Amino acid sequence: MDFTLTDEQELLRDTARALATKECPPALVRAHADDPSVADALWRAHLRDWVALGSGSLVDLALFAEELGRVLAPGVFVPTAALFAPLVDEVGAPWADVASAVGAGSRSGTVALAGGDGVWDAGRLVDGPLRTWVLEADRVDTVAIVAADGPDSARIALVDASALEPRLVETLDTTRRAFEVAVPDDAFSGGHPVAEVSRTAVQRVIERATVVVAAELVGVARWLLDTSVAYAGERVQFDRPIGAFQGLQFKLVDMALDVERATAAVYAAAMASDAEVPERHRLVHVAKAAAGRAARHAARDGLQVHGGIGYTWEHDLHLYLRRAYAGDYLLGSATWHHDRLAGLLLG
Amino acid sequence: MQLSWSDEDEAFRRDLRAFLDEHCPPEARRGKDFMGEGVDGVPDWARAWQATLFDHGWMIPAYPPELGGRHATPTQTLLYLEELADQGIVRSVHFGGYAIVGPSLLEFGDEAQRALAPAAIRGDTVWCVGMSEPDAGSDLAALATRAVDDGDSFVVTGQKVWTSYAPFADMCFCYVRTDPEAPKHKGISVLLIDMASPGIEVRPLRHITGAVEFAEVFFDDVVVPKANLVGERNNGWRITMGSLAHERGGLWVEGVFGAHRALDGLIALARRRGLDADPVVRRRLGEAYEQVSSLRSLGYKGFAGFAQGSSAPEHSFMKLATSELRKQLFELGMDLCGPAGAVVDPARAEEDGRWWKGFFVALAGTIGGGTSEIQRNVVATRVLGLPRA
Repeated sequence: MDFTLTDEQELLRDTARALATKECPPALVRAHADDPSVADALWRAHLRDWVALGSGSLVDLALFAEELGRVLAPGVFVPTAALFAPLVDEVGAPWADVASAVGAGSRSGTVALAGGDGVWDAGRLVDGPLRTWVLEADRVDTVAIVAADGPDSARIALVDASALEPRLVETLDTTRRAFEVAVPDDAFSGGHPVAEVSRTAVQRVIERATVVVAAELVGVARWLLDTSVAYAGERVQFDRPIGAFQGLQFKLVDMALDVERATAAVYAAAMASDAEVPERHRLVHVAKAAAGRAARHAARDGLQVHGGIGYTWEHDLHLYLRRAYAGDYLLGSATWHHDRLAGLLLG
Repeated sequence: MQLSWSDEDEAFRRDLRAFLDEHCPPEARRGKDFMGEGVDGVPDWARAWQATLFDHGWMIPAYPPELGGRHATPTQTLLYLEELADQGIVRSVHFGGYAIVGPSLLEFGDEAQRALAPAAIRGDTVWCVGMSEPDAGSDLAALATRAVDDGDSFVVTGQKVWTSYAPFADMCFCYVRTDPEAPKHKGISVLLIDMASPGIEVRPLRHITGAVEFAEVFFDDVVVPKANLVGERNNGWRITMGSLAHERGGLWVEGVFGAHRALDGLIALARRRGLDADPVVRRRLGEAYEQVSSLRSLGYKGFAGFAQGSSAPEHSFMKLATSELRKQLFELGMDLCGPAGAVVDPARAEEDGRWWKGFFVALAGTIGGGTSEIQRNVVATRVLGLPRA
């Protein structure tokens, strides 16, 4: 595996970092908690220009998502680029017009797939009236509702978000919003665009989104690590920077090791997915498990390094702590992915 | 970023595989799990194998042919280390000569000393490296073995410990104190000492696996010609930093591939013992897979930085992480053996004691070559830039 970034990839990462830092400051993230519409401006003015990444190389999308995670960017970009666009792409020619609108940034979307148990798995699709963990369902243009069909197939209906009444499910995370959606009775019959895809195709979309969420978590974890290392170098107690104490140094080193491992695991999963090698299924589980653990670890111990100041509402750390934990649970926690790995290893 | 290497590099791998198929003796295919049984001397097969590797340019591929190589690129060197690790092949049963002494002589030695390098790399001369002492372990610069100037020679007195291969080594690459008054890092020199010199006594040291791998070496007024001083006097500390620079980007390979082998063994063990449906065992194996796989990716990511000439942070983490991981994996193996986890009786232990032996060997891995604590200190200050304690 060659991890060397191409010139284009380096440029993409640097551009993404500059854009994210400038256009998504902490003030916007905080404002979003009370008024989610502030994320719409970020989408319309900037992020929709990048949504075509959703239909391209997963390595590129992951590099971009990592930078979004680092600033906790809220809004419809991730559901659109990581879920909606690839699902529409799987349908192909019949939905070419939808795909081109999405790619042009003029249509946002999300995917309603998980049933009442909250599990994203093409092998366990449901046909009932409830979908859970539908991201940003009230802010996108379109919701793609996925339903079980034959043993190897799935049906998708595209429903205008305005025709639904999504119910917000409050989570720890104030930077990303999840909804429950009641599937309308006429979703697959009332003249909405409907298509059929294989479950393999659905699984491909789920894996893609899983890598993107993992990449965001790496960005989250890296912010927590960098911020904690910087604080440990500045904060003086007992006449020396607290970062000179070995007890804290070892904590930070172990955090850093988890962050580096997760970063590498996410890129490996993205490369393997782009190359469509069989190993990709395992690597996707590894990436999400490693990223979820790294983010939680960095949040938990990062707060400890910060001491009392990190426990205040005023400090940004808790925003990252919230995303770290909610992000681990989204699309499968580390232990869930460990169990899935065991399934692949042991049958 | 891409999964595959260039056609040229893949051709290099094919050449290597063909060479290994043709020449590698079965004894060299030993994996790493079972090392730790000790070495009484260099067996004939090992001597012949190392010489064959050298003569065909496969000993240190990055070196020129006269030093046992073929001008391999960094990527090709990585593929080489991968292939050896994947097939569980050892190049040599004594790493001091080719990995430390040869490269150090080439970098720091005078002309006569550089001429000793090919034999060190080919294994014709067996070297031991005298570093640790009873009171100089992690704090290596505290070493006290002294070399006193006696005109044309130095007279060496003191004790080394944990010295691998000393019972059968021809020569010792020895760190000594030449200036007891200077600050501790500034009074150290390196001497090449003939192990047949009068005044040297080697006492084999048995370790917890029961094997004899190391020795204590006592020097009592050992006379060493001044021509055997490597580099400048009192400037030996910087030589401790030298090792096989060409392969530094792939030092992690053997550890990670060894961890993969252990993981495959754990899966087979779980099946054999009927534990593959146990949810706790399944989760632990899934987690172990995550650990091994992410570390493997981190190794490759670090290599990408190395190949571009940067000293990538990934690098500093690899020794720490692989050695800690191996302890966990082999301990899990003992757990999976159930009540037989503590059985060493070869007739009754699972796989001839693979798991307890592997665990005992892994316990050394977080101590030797810089303890995990020293590794964390290094990462904290040099990678994270935290203030020194």
